[in-house]
Amino acid sequence: MIIERFSNWREGFTERLEHDGPWDSWTLYKMSYETEKMNLIPDFSGLQAPKLLTNIQLLPHQVEAAQTVIEKMNGKAILADEVGLGKTIEAGLIMKEYMIRGIVKKVLILVPASLQNQWVTELNVRFFIPAIAYRKNTPIEHYDVMVMSMDTAKKSPHREKIYEQNYDMIIIDEAHKLKNHKTQIYEFVQSLKKKFCLLLTATPIQNDVFEIFYLVSLLKPGHLGNYETFQASFSATKNSIDGEKYLKELVNQVMVRNRRQDTGIEWKTRKVHTIPVRFTEEERRVYDMIGELKTVSSIFSSSFTMVTLLKEMCSSKEATYLTLNKMMQKGISNEEKEYIDMIMDKLANLEVNSKAEKVLEIVKNADDKVIIFTEYRATQAFLQWYLHSQGISSVLFNGKFSKSKRDWVRQLFRERDQVLIATESGGEGINLQFCHHVINYDLPWNPMKLEQRIGRVHRLGQEEDVHIYNLAIENTIEQKILDLLESKIDVFEKVVGDLDDILARKA
Amino acid sequence: MYAEQIHEYLNNFFKETNCDILEDEGFLLSVQLTVDMDKRIMNRPFYWQYIEATNSEPNPARLNLITDRSKMQTPFMGEMIHFGSGRLHQIFKTTKELGSFVKMYHSIDQNLENPMLIPFLCVNYKVSYLSDQTKEVLYSLGINLINGQIEDHFHEFVSQQNLQSTMPKNVYCLDFIIKPARGIERLDSMIQQIIQNDDHSWAEEAKARWEKELEVLNYFYDGVEEKPESYEVEKKALEERFNPRIKVEIINGGLFYLK
Repeated sequence: MIIERFSNWREGFTERLEHDGPWDSWTLYKMSYETEKMNLIPDFSGLQAPKLLTNIQLLPHQVEAAQTVIEKMNGKAILADEVGLGKTIEAGLIMKEYMIRGIVKKVLILVPASLQNQWVTELNVRFFIPAIAYRKNTPIEHYDVMVMSMDTAKKSPHREKIYEQNYDMIIIDEAHKLKNHKTQIYEFVQSLKKKFCLLLTATPIQNDVFEIFYLVSLLKPGHLGNYETFQASFSATKNSIDGEKYLKELVNQVMVRNRRQDTGIEWKTRKVHTIPVRFTEEERRVYDMIGELKTVSSIFSSSFTMVTLLKEMCSSKEATYLTLNKMMQKGISNEEKEYIDMIMDKLANLEVNSKAEKVLEIVKNADDKVIIFTEYRATQAFLQWYLHSQGISSVLFNGKFSKSKRDWVRQLFRERDQVLIATESGGEGINLQFCHHVINYDLPWNPMKLEQRIGRVHRLGQEEDVHIYNLAIENTIEQKILDLLESKIDVFEKVVGDLDDILARKA
Repeated sequence: MYAEQIHEYLNNFFKETNCDILEDEGFLLSVQLTVDMDKRIMNRPFYWQYIEATNSEPNPARLNLITDRSKMQTPFMGEMIHFGSGRLHQIFKTTKELGSFVKMYHSIDQNLENPMLIPFLCVNYKVSYLSDQTKEVLYSLGINLINGQIEDHFHEFVSQQNLQSTMPKNVYCLDFIIKPARGIERLDSMIQQIIQNDDHSWAEEAKARWEKELEVLNYFYDGVEEKPESYEVEKKALEERFNPRIKVEIINGGLFYLK
């Protein structure tokens, strides 16, 4: 084996012998040896980092996760703890350990833009790792630890600059953004050299089992076979699996997943309620009219448009109106125009929003802080107006807010307003442990989005039980969404592992 | 390293490097740095460039270091120092730079007749075994420059002795028979021998892990005629991750005249 020799001590010593000096202090000489002895890594296994990290209270499951990744998974893993258990801390700990052991020096951390500053602060303050946030023109060759937004990294000229670096470790936060192998970011990460690599996501499967295949193949190509063999074994139908046990075992070889209940910490329970809502007759009539659109004209036969409209109708007339209005701008025939006009007329005359009334009821009963999630900006605005007219103050939030605006909104919600109304994209990167009620005003197709939403509230530091209200209007598309969510949760549990309740359990 | 140990370490370090200790409360330390020490531990090369270019009056920093916050009673502006903080590591590094080469003599009882000192050469080595895991071992080897005998744990021995940096009076120091340069070579080959005789199952295990992961990778691209670049990239990454190697580093060393 090759023995590398480091040090120019021999030359220095010879020189001092020739000139009989200058000689160093005996005290410093002894101190230097003692320091080395203290910092020595006496064993291949075990963690050195925890004793150095005095600014952080590590939890047992976090230390265990780091140790598993380093000793059993050889430094390549998916960290898939449930939301709020500290995946960032686990990643920081692993990175620190490798840095102390002198195995990793250069690290690239890819994150959603909104989390960039949070990572930089966390690494610097808690882990004493001098990380830098990448901005345009940051000379990346001069910095060892770089935190970069995924959207920036995948584009020229940044991607080329990254390829030129020789990173020892790649960390990707919110890695479910890589579930689609046809995207630019997937391709970018695939061609990146990944010596040590951590993928962080609470939701390694969002829709179907192929997502985990692509995620694992990014990390460790071949671990789940190649595409053909995988497809042959697991793809009878996309959402139900035969070899599930085998697959689960393989996945667990590259994945660490802590659940709230195995952390040894006492967690507040989440109580999930499905709240059925009934349309008024007038609302029902408009809903059915929209359903008939596809027979009126071929341009509505696209199921996407239809589904969007139906979902919007379940949300608010404001959201529906906006989409219909957009359609009117397109070149459509007079007959089609007439029909849409009729719907819009009926919409304008609707006086009651049954779902909003239900929300009011929940908010009043809760008599406490409440977060409402909706998918539509128009609904968001409507709800604020509606609640205000009923004497309830609220504040709006969405994912495009800057860091300082987020903090401001959080502050307002904490100290002034009873209700926070957030759009979907507000699901990530804001922590609201002081709130105990979450209303899912409309349901997304993807159960993990629900999990992300709930995770804003049900996380470390929550001191009371958390109530989740999933609103669904009877005999509409929302009923179908509920069913589909259920089957997706089933796939997740079979391949990845159990989930905390997202939907109300069936009796 | 506990708070008190760090405190003691800093205290010794600044005393030894001629920095004035202005205040020492046992949990906080106020130190006036010398110009040299400011340059070494304050990370402000541009300031010093500017001072030197303009011939201005240098103003080396005064550091207020807090080693144990829990003992603080009044608010005090200062820098928290703990094991793991950047400043402490800079100080460790400086200690290493300023404590690399020594020449020391046994202190001699003046009543002895014909006292005589024998020259020894000591080198302190750090050996690292590296793959995707690491282990480090320290060896302190000393060679008798008269008869060539080599001993391990040399540092442990000399650090217990009463030594001084100047030659004691009325003492006769034997001239070395083995030249120090030759001594270093002997110690270097000794360390090589020690490494060779060590248990290297760690390297075999690393190679086995490497082999296994390579198989997985090959399986992914099985049947692909023209393998994409990402295949080669992954393969290279595996090599860098698992390929076992050994690193030998010298921490410090010196010439010792002992009884």
